[in-house]
Amino acid sequence: MNSADWKRLGSGLSFTGLWIIGFSVFTLYPVVASLYYSFCDYSVLQRPLWTGLENYRTLVADDVFWLSLRNTLYFAGAAVPLGTVVSLSLALLLNQDVKGRALFRTLFFLPSIVPLVASAMLWLWIFNGSGGLLNWVLGPVFALWGGTPPAWLGDPAWAKPALVLMSAWGAGHSMIIYLAGLQNVPRELYESAELDGAGSWAKFWHITLPVISPVIYFNVVMGIIGAMQVFTTAFVMTGGTDGNPARSTLFYALYLFSNAFYDLRMGYASAMAWILFMLIATLTWIATRVAARSVHYQD
Amino acid sequence: MPSATPTRRFSIYLLLFAGAVLFAFPLVWMVSTSLKSPEQSAAFPPTMLPRSHYVQVDGREAEVTLDRELTGRPGWWQVTIKDGTGTRLELPRAEVDTRVEPRWENYPEALARMGGGRVGFGTFLGNTLIVCVLGVFGAVLSNAIIAYGFARLKWRGRDAFFAVTLATMMVPMPVLMVPLYGVFRELGWIGTLLPLWVPAWFGSAFNIFLMRQFFRTIPEEMSEAARIDGAGEWTIFWRLILPLSTPVLAVAALFHFLFAWNDFLGPLLYLTRQETFTLAIALQNYQSQAGGVEWPLLMAASAVVVAPVIVIFFFAQKTFIQGVATTGSKG
Amino acid sequence: MRCSPLLRLSVLLGLAVVARAEPVRITYWEKWSGFEAEAMRAVVDQFNASQDRIFVDFVSMSQIDRKLIVATAGGDPPDVAGIWFAQMSSFADRAALTPLDDFIHRDSGLKVDDWLAATYPPVYADMQAYRGHVYALISAPGTTALYWNKTVFREAGLDPEKPPRTLAELNEMSRVLTKRNSDTGVVERTGFLPQEPGWFGYSYPAWFGGGLINDASDITLAGRPENLAAANWERSYAELIGVDQLKVFASGFGSFASAQQAFFTGDVAMVFQGVWFDRFIAKYAPGLDYGVAAWPEATGRVPGPPIQAFTVADADLLVIPRGAKHAEEAWEFIRFATSANPTARSRDEVSGVELLCLGQQKPSPLRVWSPWFGENHPHPHIELFRQLAASPRAWHAPKIGVWTEYLREYNTAIQRIRLLQVEPAAALDYAQKRLADSWQRHRASVARQAAAAGETAGPDLGPAALSPGSGDLQPAASLEVRPDKEEGSP
Repeated sequence: MNSADWKRLGSGLSFTGLWIIGFSVFTLYPVVASLYYSFCDYSVLQRPLWTGLENYRTLVADDVFWLSLRNTLYFAGAAVPLGTVVSLSLALLLNQDVKGRALFRTLFFLPSIVPLVASAMLWLWIFNGSGGLLNWVLGPVFALWGGTPPAWLGDPAWAKPALVLMSAWGAGHSMIIYLAGLQNVPRELYESAELDGAGSWAKFWHITLPVISPVIYFNVVMGIIGAMQVFTTAFVMTGGTDGNPARSTLFYALYLFSNAFYDLRMGYASAMAWILFMLIATLTWIATRVAARSVHYQD
Repeated sequence: MPSATPTRRFSIYLLLFAGAVLFAFPLVWMVSTSLKSPEQSAAFPPTMLPRSHYVQVDGREAEVTLDRELTGRPGWWQVTIKDGTGTRLELPRAEVDTRVEPRWENYPEALARMGGGRVGFGTFLGNTLIVCVLGVFGAVLSNAIIAYGFARLKWRGRDAFFAVTLATMMVPMPVLMVPLYGVFRELGWIGTLLPLWVPAWFGSAFNIFLMRQFFRTIPEEMSEAARIDGAGEWTIFWRLILPLSTPVLAVAALFHFLFAWNDFLGPLLYLTRQETFTLAIALQNYQSQAGGVEWPLLMAASAVVVAPVIVIFFFAQKTFIQGVATTGSKG
Repeated sequence: MRCSPLLRLSVLLGLAVVARAEPVRITYWEKWSGFEAEAMRAVVDQFNASQDRIFVDFVSMSQIDRKLIVATAGGDPPDVAGIWFAQMSSFADRAALTPLDDFIHRDSGLKVDDWLAATYPPVYADMQAYRGHVYALISAPGTTALYWNKTVFREAGLDPEKPPRTLAELNEMSRVLTKRNSDTGVVERTGFLPQEPGWFGYSYPAWFGGGLINDASDITLAGRPENLAAANWERSYAELIGVDQLKVFASGFGSFASAQQAFFTGDVAMVFQGVWFDRFIAKYAPGLDYGVAAWPEATGRVPGPPIQAFTVADADLLVIPRGAKHAEEAWEFIRFATSANPTARSRDEVSGVELLCLGQQKPSPLRVWSPWFGENHPHPHIELFRQLAASPRAWHAPKIGVWTEYLREYNTAIQRIRLLQVEPAAALDYAQKRLADSWQRHRASVARQAAAAGETAGPDLGPAALSPGSGDLQPAASLEVRPDKEEGSP
């Protein structure tokens, strides 16, 4: 490295210095500690004792581990695309020249800030098999074919779809980010496209989408990370870490949590956490590969 | 986008209204529940407006709960007088006087009960504000500085470090909890508010990522021009980039505020005494009350906790969203 | 209170030394909130007023289990903590609790098991003994009984004063009480559902005469005919009502703490519930015409009086976490809060655990109740619950370090049986295999930790019971969820 390189390095480190401290103390150390624990017999309450790969070997043979992984991938595979479509659609609607935009924006954003306990209770009622809002609406529709709507959270086949539906409710958070991205699209681009006779769809496809692609990338990555760790709603709505009914909503983070804090197997849980970490990293890497081809930065 | 046809405008509004109904419903439900009696809040099928029921007993009006319609006697209902005696009556529905009657008294009662009568709501609010305000300042300032280092400077190891930074977002929280507790214990911070806001002053991957994405949209030529004029990086950061970035700073501030306001796991782990509780943890403590939750009171407390967030968002959203369009390319 | 002369002397000496000093402040974390916390707060205030050497700082907090684990792991636990019986074995196996044996022996002059037997009915005594030690003392206990809705009995043409006394009667009454819509065939009422509320589902094998572990603490879920009979019985209810009907019917039940709860509305006419249930009835269904009786006899024996009937016992416990800074003072408080003035003749004279149990409307765990406590207890059926605790068939959940996992596996197996997803025998076999593996790993881990800690004699991993098991019943006990304990958390 020549002196200019050194100078640039010094400058870079001086800006990122706070993060170097924060990263080391609040992330790196805990992460390394947990990696160490993943190779240990560790109950949290006693010293960690090295057991090599035992936790990982046990995990591979653990049916419920694989089940929780399948459930989680199912959830993420459905919730991330649905959330992206809903939040981007809302942002596009709000980006129109409409009256009362501030009010609509606030309304769409609200569900994402309502305390989770409160919204979970609301959805418990909406999904209720016999007196719930959803089946009150769906009942007559199903009756046309002589059927009855599912019991949602009471039915192993429908509990996961119910939680996916509910997750779209919190789309307001990423909608705000999309909206910020959409407002960043230079108006001149649309104007010149209109001169070329481009329709709405063409403008969306050739201008809007490329310009906001960094935002989509950001939201999708955050969505994957969040969905792979889905915890709170399932915990509140489907019986703590049991994943009722019949483990159909036993997600990865729930199983991890019950191992760590109910069964006091922190070493085992740490191994699970590291596998999750690797899995999320892989998915993010895939998203980044896709992004490298299709995301456009306005440099 | 201008020049919309009437049909198009109509369908846009239709979709907006449909979306608004769907999305606003939880809040409306929360507020309406907060004004109901406990019986009504648990009743199936649920009703939206808070109602009370009265009957005439011995010439006096008595409030009752409407229990159920009698089997085999259509139109007749069993009611229970709400005086604690459990006296039950059976009478035609028409004799029950039902009025829409919001129970505003749920609010003062919920706030009074939140601290178990020993610690006031004001203490929780004060603690929460300390955590939020100090945290927001730290988060905005530190992440802007850090993100600048990642977005606008080229230095050896930057991309690798940034990749590592991104990776930290993927670390599941349960893994960090126990080692982190050890860190804070060594620092002597357990039982204080420090673990809840000090880390914000040292950056967070999410905000670094967010700000870096936005900083990168500011044309590099602007920085180059300033450099040619002899400006150092800190000057460029303070004088050029930061003023252009108020929207993303607002985003980061709002997100951190929301996070700190609603944060549950942190206070749960690090706060031990009620005097140091934040609103979120006080609310949860309240929710897990013995003998089952009284939903109206819980919803009233929730509404009080949510209200400031809504107000702040409503007023901050202009800076928050509008300004973004004016940054970057037009400078 | 019993005090050895030595203790009195040391107390006096201590008083002299600290006469001018500030009292020692100890911290006590308790999971209760609301009126249950207030009941304990009264005991704490009574203790603080009774002497000036120790001041107890009472903190009522949610999520206490996880917080306690993290704080103990961090070396900064409270001096006293309230835990559930279900957690005791696991915490003790993980060396998170301070044994109370020496304190008990010093204060009572008795051998620990003699003291337990002299102080508590057998089921409670057994719950507090684990692997030859006492790690926890009972603050508030409870037993369970059958509650039935007399109004619904009358509507169905049954004698409202005659609850079922055998399993066959329970099944028959349940059939009679089940009502379907005459047009649609949709179920509108059931007599009994094993899963409503299902908090004690884990006790059905023992109720049928089987058990979850044997005297050597081996997992015995599969392979005992009584356990399989219990599982088949659960399945028979799914078949009686119909799986899809049941899903929809059960989803209509209101939450436990509401007037819409299935038992209060009459949707389910009979439930197994604990001593706390009367208070919920008084609050959410005042005026409900109901009765309380012992569990029906499920083993085919001739039913006896309640004093011989099956019941599930559970308890909240007080412990001194390992690493507590003031163990001695913590013990002083625990002793105060778990004993009582046996001669109390007025409300003002009621102290310690009796004051607590009055406030929480629970029975006192002690053998001896003070005259005032027994005569003025606000609970209408307190005598029945007291008798049940003395029954030789009083049963508690297994004291086994993997109990939380056992409960989860068992509940999942039963759910799959009820959904008719899998044959009962196969479901039990599957759970048995998982649990046996896990239990083996747990034992290996405990042995490994003991060896690493340099203990010459590792903990005895044999029978969990201090004294030989009572009859053919397995030692054991607890409710995972109870409404007056905290519910789920994020």
